[in-house]
Amino acid sequence: MIRRIVLDVLKPHNPSVVEVSEALSHLEGVEAVNVIIYEIDQQVENAKIIIAGSSIDFESIKKKLEEMGATIHSVDEVAAGERIVEEVKTPQDRSARI
Amino acid sequence: MKFLEKIRRYIKISEVAPISRRYFIMNAFDGATTILGIVIGAYAAGITNEFWVIWSGLGVSLAMGLSGFAGAYMTEEAEREKKLNALEKSMLIELKDSVIGKASRFASLWAGIVDGVSPALTALVCLTPFFLSSHGFFSINFAIPLSVAMALTTMFLLGVFLGKISNRNMLFHGAKMLFVGLIITFIFLVLKIIQ
Repeated sequence: MIRRIVLDVLKPHNPSVVEVSEALSHLEGVEAVNVIIYEIDQQVENAKIIIAGSSIDFESIKKKLEEMGATIHSVDEVAAGERIVEEVKTPQDRSARI
Repeated sequence: MKFLEKIRRYIKISEVAPISRRYFIMNAFDGATTILGIVIGAYAAGITNEFWVIWSGLGVSLAMGLSGFAGAYMTEEAEREKKLNALEKSMLIELKDSVIGKASRFASLWAGIVDGVSPALTALVCLTPFFLSSHGFFSINFAIPLSVAMALTTMFLLGVFLGKISNRNMLFHGAKMLFVGLIITFIFLVLKIIQ
């Protein structure tokens, strides 16, 4: 079961981030939502959406976003299982070496 | 409740509220002005039968209502279709089944309804004295000035509403609208005297 998912989403200005985050938070299995707009264009905006919960259904998230006129560009992080495993820095990571 | 929530959501997403407010004021004003013209015209012509005014008024209300609905609906639909197409190009997906597409279709219908109902509504309000007169509540000689007063009051109230939404002097805006109505009344009365 998915406990945390990070999405890169392209959405129109309307419905607003407030409405999108509210709609996502009402989905079953979702406990918390965070939407951050990191780029604004004339017609659209890019958002990083972090969803946390006990059992997130990716398909229902995707469906809800499509219903709101948004589209998922990429799934950037998924944490699934009994507990969340945080990302750890290893010597292999370029950032860890610098 | 869910239905009303949906409508509220569509209004918010499509941002149709300011447009429909504009349509409402413009066409409600048109409705009141048209009936004012009919009533003053009827007075100038020396009409003694209230049904003449009622049927003319109803005919005009129906025509204004239908033309308002069709005109606003088609214009709004074309404009919104264009906007949706542009958004679809930016998003690279189809949006007609999304809430944006649904809100867009709703907005066209909503604008049409507001545009159609508002003139018919004010026209019917201004015709009320003639309905009452036809049922023997009072004579047509009383119905004419009462209807003119109701039309002028409607115009004044529309002005007040404009003042309210623009957060400006409501009485001043009301007076401005009333002034237009008074001009129409004045012109007709002068024509009647000249005749």
